Amino acid sequence: MSHSDQNLNLTLRVWRQDGPSDRGRFVDYKVNGISTHMSFLEMLDVLNEQLVAAGEEPVAFDHDCREGICGTCGVMINGQAHGPDNETTTCQLHMRRFKSGQTIVIEPWRANPFPVIKDLAVDRTAFDRIIESGGFVSVNTGQAQDGNCLPIPRQDQESSLDAAACIGCGACVAACKNASAMLFTSAKVSHLAQLPQGDPERSQRVVNMVAQMDEEGFGGCSNTYECEAACPAGVSVEHIARLNREYIKASFCSTAVPATKSK
Amino acid sequence: MSQMELHSDVPGGPLSEKWEKHRNEMKLVSPNNKRRFDIIVVGTGLAGAAAAASLGELGYNVKAFCYQDSPRRAHSIAAQGGINAAKNYPNDGDSVHRLFYDTIKGGDFRAREANVYRLAEVSGSIIDQCVAQGVPFAREYGGLLANRTFGGAQVSRTFYCRGQTGQQLLLGAYSSLMRQVSAGKVKMYPRREMLDLVTVDGMARGIVCRNLKTGEFETHAAHAVLVCTGGYGNAFYLSTNAKGCNVTAAWRCHKRGAFFANPCFTQIHPTCIPVKGDYQSKLTLMSESLRNDGRVWVPKDPNDSRAPQDIPEEDRDYYLERRYPAFGNMVPRDVASRAAKERCDEGYGIGETGMAVYLDFRRAIQEQGEDAIRSKYGNLFHMYQKITDENPYKTPMRIYPAVHYTMGGLWVDYNLESTIPGLFVLGEANFSDHGANRLGASALMQGLADGYFIAPYTVGHHLAGRTIKPVTTAHPRFEETKNEAKDRVDKLLRINGTRTVQSFHRELGQIMWDYCGMARNAQGLNQAIDKIRLIREQFWKQIRIPGSGESFNQQLEMAGRVADFLEFAEVFAQDALTREESCGGHFREEHQTSEGEAERDDENFTHVAAWEHVPNGEAKRHVEPLEFENVELTTRSYK
Amino acid sequence: MSWLTGFLKSTVGRKFVMALTGLFLCFFLVVHLSGNLLLYVGGEAYDKYAHALHSNEEFLMLAETLLFAAFALHIVLAFTTTWENKSARKTGYRKTESKRDDRAFPLLLAPDYTMMVTGLVGMLFLIVHISDFKLEFGWGLEDMTPAQKAGLIVSDGTRLIIYMAGAIALGIHVSHGLASACQTIGFNHPKYTAGIQLVSRIFGVVVALGFSSFPVMAQMYPEWFQFVGTVTTGH
Ligand SMILES: Cc1cc2nc3c(=O)[nH]c(=O)nc-3n(C[C@H](O)[C@H](O)[C@H](O)COP(=O)(O)OP(=O)(O)OC[C@H]3O[C@@H](n4cnc5c(N)ncnc54)[C@H](O)[C@@H]3O)c2cc1C
Ligand code: SF4
Ligand code: FES
Repeated sequence: MSHSDQNLNLTLRVWRQDGPSDRGRFVDYKVNGISTHMSFLEMLDVLNEQLVAAGEEPVAFDHDCREGICGTCGVMINGQAHGPDNETTTCQLHMRRFKSGQTIVIEPWRANPFPVIKDLAVDRTAFDRIIESGGFVSVNTGQAQDGNCLPIPRQDQESSLDAAACIGCGACVAACKNASAMLFTSAKVSHLAQLPQGDPERSQRVVNMVAQMDEEGFGGCSNTYECEAACPAGVSVEHIARLNREYIKASFCSTAVPATKSK
Repeated sequence: MSQMELHSDVPGGPLSEKWEKHRNEMKLVSPNNKRRFDIIVVGTGLAGAAAAASLGELGYNVKAFCYQDSPRRAHSIAAQGGINAAKNYPNDGDSVHRLFYDTIKGGDFRAREANVYRLAEVSGSIIDQCVAQGVPFAREYGGLLANRTFGGAQVSRTFYCRGQTGQQLLLGAYSSLMRQVSAGKVKMYPRREMLDLVTVDGMARGIVCRNLKTGEFETHAAHAVLVCTGGYGNAFYLSTNAKGCNVTAAWRCHKRGAFFANPCFTQIHPTCIPVKGDYQSKLTLMSESLRNDGRVWVPKDPNDSRAPQDIPEEDRDYYLERRYPAFGNMVPRDVASRAAKERCDEGYGIGETGMAVYLDFRRAIQEQGEDAIRSKYGNLFHMYQKITDENPYKTPMRIYPAVHYTMGGLWVDYNLESTIPGLFVLGEANFSDHGANRLGASALMQGLADGYFIAPYTVGHHLAGRTIKPVTTAHPRFEETKNEAKDRVDKLLRINGTRTVQSFHRELGQIMWDYCGMARNAQGLNQAIDKIRLIREQFWKQIRIPGSGESFNQQLEMAGRVADFLEFAEVFAQDALTREESCGGHFREEHQTSEGEAERDDENFTHVAAWEHVPNGEAKRHVEPLEFENVELTTRSYK
Repeated sequence: MSWLTGFLKSTVGRKFVMALTGLFLCFFLVVHLSGNLLLYVGGEAYDKYAHALHSNEEFLMLAETLLFAAFALHIVLAFTTTWENKSARKTGYRKTESKRDDRAFPLLLAPDYTMMVTGLVGMLFLIVHISDFKLEFGWGLEDMTPAQKAGLIVSDGTRLIIYMAGAIALGIHVSHGLASACQTIGFNHPKYTAGIQLVSRIFGVVVALGFSSFPVMAQMYPEWFQFVGTVTTGH
């Protein structure tokens, strides 16, 4: 257990892009005296303070909670979504994972449905549209019966929560060679498919959500499972298998047909 | 002093019948007319998402706004512990009245009885609603809902989803919201920051916001505006809040006439990971539940340099157990926080900074085994280790209090309406239900109560009961307000000084922490006011924001928020200065017992302090007296 | 949109067809390999098997049509989905590195990342193979028993390279393909996932070793493949 605080000198190779229509380029920056106790985003804060002091525009990156739950942060760090640690978001990654003198390549999530807004910040509203297409239970406020009317086996509830734990960060898309959003989409399908509340709409839900996912321009799943390894919430590819089952069942054994909205 | 009468509009009758009676009496909008009304909901946390979804379901046209890229990311997502409800599923004697009483007592008798009672009343429906949405609450093996205990209560009434209850509740509300988006009843505007409120003839009629992606200023008109923008803990710079949490929306409403109530009521949570270095950007909460098994201590000898695990029992001071033998490590948050500060101020603090105490699981591990502890707190221990690189199974955790929640907020009446007609305030952004201290697992309850079960009725009452003349964004007030907001932004960009936003925010935070933190005194608060004014002045001369206002510019966003914190902080300090008593999270050193416990002054301060903005003058303090007809004011004692 | 077009247009639906055709082709590989292995039993066994197979014209036609259709679908879908998948990310990364800690190979060589390459090599091999065995192009194999033909072809030096490359490529292809197909049709569960992965890998090895064994053995033990002709073709 190391408690010692060391300082790192690093070269950051950062993707800079002024706006969606800019072509973008890599720029190298040096940051010195980075404490190993800093989080990765705190290290970027230091870089930005340095840039502002020099009168340059700071590097734009999305972040909010900085404790791994909101899903706002996320960049590719040396070719890995959210960096080298498993089940860790960029904001939870600490600099003790790096060595002095290292060059760190920092890139935004790249996928056509996630256009770059600026530098490392991308637009992930495609995810919202996927949820909008069916990731809900149609129950109005006030219509609910008593919470204990529907017993749910504990294993089902736990497994459903495993899927519902998705933070919507987009690392799965970023890490997938096909820029596929299957892990994200399956997490919601699987969450609701395992609960009785989700049952009445299960066929229409999966059919719609898959159609919307495709409409957004994400690639297909070729089962390389890089998404699972990159997922900070530990969402398993078993949920993708469940989506596949649900989708096949819905397509062949129900009357559901897809309804999509264009972007 | 000419004080405005604050009408809380609490209906008459017995406490337990007030809400029912009010619901029966409120005006209704007929189903066909609902689509004629536009409603703006700013914020998509539990309060905002729940309100927007419910109003959309009713048939209103809703526009919802948030500063994040998606409504799913509001800071409610970070809540760990759970949500209270008086379901009495465990059959341990819980009731609406008990939940009401615990909450009002926990708030140190500085909240409005009728509001808190209503909160307890609707708490059960919240759980039902969330279950119906598919929120995967923890279950017993028989498949029924499980409960856990939380601080400040003698019954088990907290519903939870592992350590991520807020996330699951928010995703439930978010899914309902997205359903209304797909139904065309809600239009979602993410990456928008509300920069001002538009009032026409004294009524809230719209907002001005900036599109954070493009820098464009937009105006939106409506028949009612709901502000659900969360708390202002980030006035302290370091807090457990998300980086973007701000006071801007609430502050701008305040400057347009909404009163700000009890701004000094801040909750400082005792178990957070201590500050490591001056680069630190936020603090991480370690759930309150850890104190069920963890024991808090410092070495008896301040110069003890041994590793904590090598310090024998007789050389440890378990100061909470020593001071509060009855409650021990489970005293409420405010008490635990102050006790930690006292030890550290006396020089007993541990670590390089001396601003930390130990939270030790040795005994629990010995008694219950490491596996039992892992199954209860595994994810928290894991998170602790990730951040600190220390193994809490072997070495005690280091913890220190941190700013966590703000009980104060915009003043609202029983209908959750502010002093500006048509402006409703929901969730942490209002002041209503937690008095001077909030009990664990009650903020989620309040946000959802406001959003699902209160605002949908009371907003309808406003729409049906008042004459609201047609107004569009073409009304000159919109252009005017937009230009004022734009000017502020342009001014910020023009300064082109030498200092970064973050440096100002840090400086403000340090002052707030030192003078307006866990212990306050008149001298310190006066100093704070002077210092805040000084920084504010420097801010408007020295700030440097590279880039332009016509694009995605995060420094500019932050600068706007810090500018508002700098104005707000002064009212905060004023409020702390004028509340000459100690209650809940507000501890005035001048008002303590000989044993160092808080001393409340019920005679002079059983009231809400609501501040009115006076253009170019000092804010004016109004009071709303609090009447307690159903509970007896007692001194909280945990000895 | 009709449900079927909707299904077949969707990424999941198309992958389903890929998976079904893939599984069918895997099944074919098993049958084919089992048949071929009879060569090690002896020329007669192999010839008998070949005759039995060819004795039922209708069955053969049907099987060949099905096979051809499966191949065609599998290949066409492979090209279209790969193309679409590639174009879902217009700007690529400067650097990519796997986060899976169970990867045995670097991404450039990993079976799941090289499906297109192994598939293509397999396809080229297939063309040669069909031309050799079905069309008997350029060999002059008249009046030989099936075993003799096979012996002759696999003993050829150029075929050593082609057949080995094809077999290994196919082995790698199916080592990912079989497990992947199971996942795609929804056959994945904590209980059997590990088993499926294992079976898939073993299958890959069997295919690679099994099919490449013939040309290799033919080089090492040429006498094994000198079959004495006893039976003539046809009934
Ligand atoms: C770490 C942590 C743990 C907690 N754990 C618990 C717990 O276990 N139990 C419990 O009951 N409570 C807990 N709380 C408290 C509780 O989570 C919050 O009080 C509650 O979720 C607040 O909800 P809200 O809807 O009022 O605001 P938020 O969820 O903060 O939402 C604010 C919304 O307003 C928007 N917004 C803000 N400013 C603007 C602006 N200027 N323009 C446009 N939009 C804006 C944001 O985008 C966001 O959508 C915890 C809090 C923290 C920080
Ligand atoms: S599935 Fe995992 S990686 Fe994908 S969005 Fe959800 S949390 Fe992120
Ligand atoms: S900033 Fe919220 S998950 Fe990283």
